[in-house]
Amino acid sequence: LQHSEIDIRGCKLNLRRGGRSEPLLFLHGAQGLNGHEPGLAALAENFAVIAPDHPGFGKSDLASSVEDIGDLALFYLDLLDALALEKVHLVGQCIGGWLALEIAIRNTGRIKSLVLVNSAGLRLKGIPRADMFACSEDELLRLLFATKGGTEWLQSWRASPDLEDLYDRNRAAAARYSWSPRLCNPKLDRWLHRIDVPTHIVWGDAERIIPPAYATALKDRITGATLATILDCAHMPHVEQPQAFAGEIAKFIRSAAR
Amino acid sequence: MKIFIFHLMPYANLDMSYAEKYRAAWVVLPNTYFDPKKGHELYNRYLDELELAAELGFDGISVNEHHQNAYGLMPSPVVTASALSRRTKSARIAILGNAFCLREHPLTLAEEHAMIDCITGGRLITGMVRGIGAEYFSLGVNPAYSHARFQEAHDLVVEAWTKPGPFSFEGNFYHFDYVNLWPRPYQQPHPPIWAPSTGSTETIEWAAHPSRKYVYLQAYSPTQSVARYLNYYRECAQRMYGYTASSDQVGWSTPVYVSDTDEKAREEAKPHIEILFNRLLRLPFEMLFPPGYLSAKSLKNMRSHKRSVSGQEHTIDTLINQGIIVCGSPDTVRRQFTETHRLLGFQNLLCLLQFGTLPRDLTEKNIRLFAREVMPALQTLSDKEYAGMQVQAAE
Repeated sequence: LQHSEIDIRGCKLNLRRGGRSEPLLFLHGAQGLNGHEPGLAALAENFAVIAPDHPGFGKSDLASSVEDIGDLALFYLDLLDALALEKVHLVGQCIGGWLALEIAIRNTGRIKSLVLVNSAGLRLKGIPRADMFACSEDELLRLLFATKGGTEWLQSWRASPDLEDLYDRNRAAAARYSWSPRLCNPKLDRWLHRIDVPTHIVWGDAERIIPPAYATALKDRITGATLATILDCAHMPHVEQPQAFAGEIAKFIRSAAR
Repeated sequence: MKIFIFHLMPYANLDMSYAEKYRAAWVVLPNTYFDPKKGHELYNRYLDELELAAELGFDGISVNEHHQNAYGLMPSPVVTASALSRRTKSARIAILGNAFCLREHPLTLAEEHAMIDCITGGRLITGMVRGIGAEYFSLGVNPAYSHARFQEAHDLVVEAWTKPGPFSFEGNFYHFDYVNLWPRPYQQPHPPIWAPSTGSTETIEWAAHPSRKYVYLQAYSPTQSVARYLNYYRECAQRMYGYTASSDQVGWSTPVYVSDTDEKAREEAKPHIEILFNRLLRLPFEMLFPPGYLSAKSLKNMRSHKRSVSGQEHTIDTLINQGIIVCGSPDTVRRQFTETHRLLGFQNLLCLLQFGTLPRDLTEKNIRLFAREVMPALQTLSDKEYAGMQVQAAE
């Protein structure tokens, strides 16, 4: 994937783009992106992938006017206008899934289909989400990954001092959008009926941050939504099971969204 | 020099084997470890200790705020300050600090501080702090906005204390249509504001600003850091803002233990001070510095510092050698403070005379001995004895 930059009302946004055919916008999660995401390359075999760093993450500017997930959703509606793509497939993981939901309840005009991967956003009373911010790096790794793939991923953040800085920057940006209440918008639930595009939910079978009850709840609340599970996979399917991740998305889009 | 006694009011009855099961004495330590009957005894004992210090001639008595932990039992220092305000007659009452920015409604604290100031006839000192990182877990406030919220809460409170009401406040975090504080504070324009910190250049630059000139108080630090940050305050005033800071604008806060001899002091303080640093202050890095709480630069510094010290437990020897605590005979302690004052010139000293599990009898002995043998000499110190930065640099 190639890096490029786009200016959205004064905020320089870093984009990765690659592949061809129909455009697919990938919204990353709390961990951000560092290039060690084979799932994105796999997606680019079938789609024209666009993967931005959210404002404040990675190499994108922090936008002072984008303070919470609602602002971020409107910011991305601006981005969709600026990209001048008629329709995109919207894929979001973790808080990227939450963001995709917040965008979709506002306006699905430019959205062709929606894929929610281990998505944050909902609050189910009595089913807590794990606190990614309170745990040590070792504990975090055990939450994010079901297999040993996590060690390599964490090492990839340690490859240079610049990447180490980006790791901290991403954590701060994740806190900015998702600290309180942690990883959810308690009011999101009320507006899911507004989602009127084909929706697929993808969950790692060993997910521990957003318990599987959330996958089922999303399926039940979004009209026509379908659900698939990825084996030997926790919170990061695009890193841990890249082929299954990309395959599941391609299969859904071929069957339901064309 | 003004001498204050400072108290944390630790839960000294904590079952210290908690550390085998829980990784912190904060946030995640179940409150079933707290026995309210023991709490009743401790609160009253600790208040007695502060009242004793006021009787013995300390210039001020000081309390602070921490949430959901065994390290300090004062989620509301306003409560302890209020309890002290009618039991003391002339000592300053210093709340060092209160985290106004952790509140959804900082005006309630502004009102309470104004009440204490009126009740005491102007003896209140207001400390403004962001709260430590763990507090952002406990109270759910977003650490990524901590600095901005701190400044806005400060502006709101100072305006509420000084500007004729009613007026409206239109901030980014706080919006109030009616700001009209009854009562107004006794001291005009408002109680002195102090900025306690464990070392932050951002806080120092903010506190030293000519529109504020707040007292910067360095807490819990090796002598080297105390020197670095107090000197930075003076440099900042001179180079950034073009004025000479008064020595009244800087202070040092440290645990102190005095006994008949150096050996006896070390022996008596050892188990209790080690409990403070190794058990009550036990807090993993990620809880101490949640994402966004520190600037990127400060976090980077902290990370490299952490790598160099990780895994080390404090002993009383390391604490004394680094100057994090001051412990010894009256002579030793007096000499150490006098010498540090000669180099750094701070006109405010906060002494933590009860720490960790230090029991009632030793605490009382410590307070009395310090008040009799150490304090009088320190209270006479002024800028005349301050040799200044140039001398220090030359040395």
